[in-house]
Amino acid sequence: MNKIRTIQILAVIVVLAVILIAALVMLPKDQKKTVVVYTSVDQVYSEPVFRDFENQTGITVLPVYDVEATKTTGLVNRLIAERNRPQADVFWSGEFGQTLLLKNESILAAYSSPSATDLPRQFRDPEDYWTGFGGRARVFIVNMDKLTPDQYPHSVNDMLDSRYPVNTVGIAYPMFGTAATHAAALYSYLGSEKARDFFSTMSERQVRVVDGNSVVRDLVADGQLAFGLTDTDDACGAVEMGKPVVIIVPDQQPGEMGTLVIPNTVAMIAGSPHPSEAKTFIDYVLDQKTEDSLVSSGWIQIPSRDVPTKTACMNITGIKVMDISYQDVYTGIPATQKDLIEIFIR
Amino acid sequence: MATPRPFFLKIRGRLSPEQCMYALVLGVFFLLITCPLIGLGVDLLYAALKGNLDLSTPFLLSSRRLGLLAASIGLAAAVAFSGIVTGVLLVSLLWRASRKILVVVLLAMLAFAAIPPYIHALTWSSLLGYVTGFLPGVPVTGWGISYWVEFMALLPLATLLSWIAFASVDFHLVEAGRVFRPDMETFFKILLPLSAPALGAAFGFLFLICCSDYSVPSLFGADVYALDIFAQFSATGSSALASLYALPLMVVTIIVMIACRSGIRTLAQTPDWLSARFGTAPRFPRFFVGLQAIACGIIALQILILFSGLILTTGTLSTFTRSVAMAHGELTYSLLIAAGVILISLPLALAAAYELRQPGLRGAVAWILVLLPLAIPASLTGIGMILFWNTPGLSMLYPGLLMPILVSVARFAPFAAIILFVQLRFIDPILFDAAAVFSRSRLETWLQIRFPLYAPGLLVAAGILAALTLAELGATLVVAPPGHGTLTMRIYNYLHYGAAGEVAGLCLLITILTLMAGACTIATLYWLYRGPGRAPEPDGRKSE
Repeated sequence: MNKIRTIQILAVIVVLAVILIAALVMLPKDQKKTVVVYTSVDQVYSEPVFRDFENQTGITVLPVYDVEATKTTGLVNRLIAERNRPQADVFWSGEFGQTLLLKNESILAAYSSPSATDLPRQFRDPEDYWTGFGGRARVFIVNMDKLTPDQYPHSVNDMLDSRYPVNTVGIAYPMFGTAATHAAALYSYLGSEKARDFFSTMSERQVRVVDGNSVVRDLVADGQLAFGLTDTDDACGAVEMGKPVVIIVPDQQPGEMGTLVIPNTVAMIAGSPHPSEAKTFIDYVLDQKTEDSLVSSGWIQIPSRDVPTKTACMNITGIKVMDISYQDVYTGIPATQKDLIEIFIR
Repeated sequence: MATPRPFFLKIRGRLSPEQCMYALVLGVFFLLITCPLIGLGVDLLYAALKGNLDLSTPFLLSSRRLGLLAASIGLAAAVAFSGIVTGVLLVSLLWRASRKILVVVLLAMLAFAAIPPYIHALTWSSLLGYVTGFLPGVPVTGWGISYWVEFMALLPLATLLSWIAFASVDFHLVEAGRVFRPDMETFFKILLPLSAPALGAAFGFLFLICCSDYSVPSLFGADVYALDIFAQFSATGSSALASLYALPLMVVTIIVMIACRSGIRTLAQTPDWLSARFGTAPRFPRFFVGLQAIACGIIALQILILFSGLILTTGTLSTFTRSVAMAHGELTYSLLIAAGVILISLPLALAAAYELRQPGLRGAVAWILVLLPLAIPASLTGIGMILFWNTPGLSMLYPGLLMPILVSVARFAPFAAIILFVQLRFIDPILFDAAAVFSRSRLETWLQIRFPLYAPGLLVAAGILAALTLAELGATLVVAPPGHGTLTMRIYNYLHYGAAGEVAGLCLLITILTLMAGACTIATLYWLYRGPGRAPEPDGRKSE
């Protein structure tokens, strides 16, 4: 190899190294107005909210998203691992269990937002560590090609009904995400013994336990399952895509327990690097206009207050909500998860 | 009072600049790959001292956990064994392939290895859903289908590793055998035994990857120990407790890797990575040709299902371009991460490869330090990185853009070190001695002697690093800096949302990018070493 070739090789290596280092180092540093938001809300729903916030306030949002495939261990455990030197300013979750866990771990800071004054009392933490707003409900998604209307399930107990063949009913792993919150709510409502029996029977009946609510949605929409338990945003997504499915809200008859409505929760992180911007963001997210936009985009189906946009994919008028305390549900989560790990992972 | 100066003068007298540089590079390598372990270890110690942990957790396995562990080991062993057997059958067909066909096939395998296993799972799940419409009895859940999909997902990597194993055998020995015995007997009595240690190492790699993956089995209702670890992690929020739960699995994977290491150390032949193989095509009996045909059918099915599934699901070119446009930020960042991982890992891994060759206790310690990080689950690696880097004094890098690079270096640089160790064992050190005598400068030695001899191993290591980095999710998600995400993170976000077309489009993009990167690298190497300055034969002779 001659000298010219040697120089050519060196030149290529040097240029590549410079490009790489420059690309990595030249990021917008020291933004004067920045807020770091850790969110488990789907990126397709939360990203427009972030962009609108940036346009209105001039504060840049740096988001960290979670993904369903990592079973929500990533985000919350990241916040716990960062406790001694927090990087996040705000935690915006699509449910409340993980938020209460973070409060219990002293990761959160108290903040009473003026945007929250018109929210129902049960959506506000008594000590102002978190605030809830519009949410989703746990519902059945039913494949209309597989079941006739007289076969549709109407209660979570129908999941144990022998008229549905083995492996045609599905749920997400009840140890993770909103499925875990729902399981804890059932433990709280029914009592530990009855709930344990319920889930044990579910396991014996070979109800198909899958990776997440979106997988339940896809399997029902594809016809691999007759029906499954999922969240309203997933179910509505399938309806809007024109899949042959219908949404049933379970346990709505007199004397039945109602369904779980899971609110979004937003909280400030203790010791956050940008507390002022964090408060501005929390005020924005809790504003009625933002809730309306989230109903419009399809993330929220059960708004916490009267908003102009109505949920299009299902009738939410008069939904019977499970009467439980969020704190009681959260308190029961560890024992519930321990039980369910023993039942379903074997 | 003693001053530092005499001490450093003494050190300088005993250590040459090269030795100092070697020690520094080695120190950086071992620090980068063990920093998650250090973070987790300190956290575990702290929790234990506070009395928050039941330290008997890893030792008192319930029958449920024992069953899960046994099932996980069984699944991983079955997948790894099937992958190696199929890979061997496929590679035996490549014996008579020309260099061009060999390069195309290997590039294709590398490209498919970069696609996350979960994508394979969803493609097969959709196919099964379609098939059950006609054949209702086809199982869609259970260990059988989990094994099949995991096997399909790892088959490209298994084929690559099997080729490396076969390429490690001096084909002159095989040719000599073919003179005296039928080709089938030569295959079983010469080629397979000589490549067996490398095949054992390949088995270990595949076993390791399969053991730590829960995404595929959980989709098909097969519960594995890795899922139990994450369930405990999710339930407790304690990385210390999750580390304890992970210990039994880590012990198993370390034992397997140590067993494979013994095989790697017995390698003694010269690799001929990309040469044409044999003058006359081997003649195998019908049963073996039938097995080769079955292996071809399996890989063809894998490619067909995956590719057609991705293309059909993408649907139109506009969906593809839309998904690329929406993910251009993640695309750029993912490519930079892969390039950064390669640039950082390869020089460090080369130094580590030399250290792995050391005899006695020194080599054993190096092997333990290299193997340990391979056994840690991805999410725990990410948490360990935070615990280590998000501390005063070390916090300049966290949560910066370099963190995803460092976490992939921590996870995958050991693979590069082992590959380069294999490469080094095949290079005659006399070549370096001759270069030291005749070369005019160190730079010339590196560029004209060392680099061409290292190049095949560096190339293979770079390709595998790129494929593993592009598909990595669990650890990257935990350390990704705010406002930045990778292509794989975008894919999984779209998956949840149900944007199947965009997901398929991005997976196709990963495949195309890996093919292009591999092709560019091969072309660059040919351009560098064509003409009078051609790369020498592995034994030092220049080819005519």
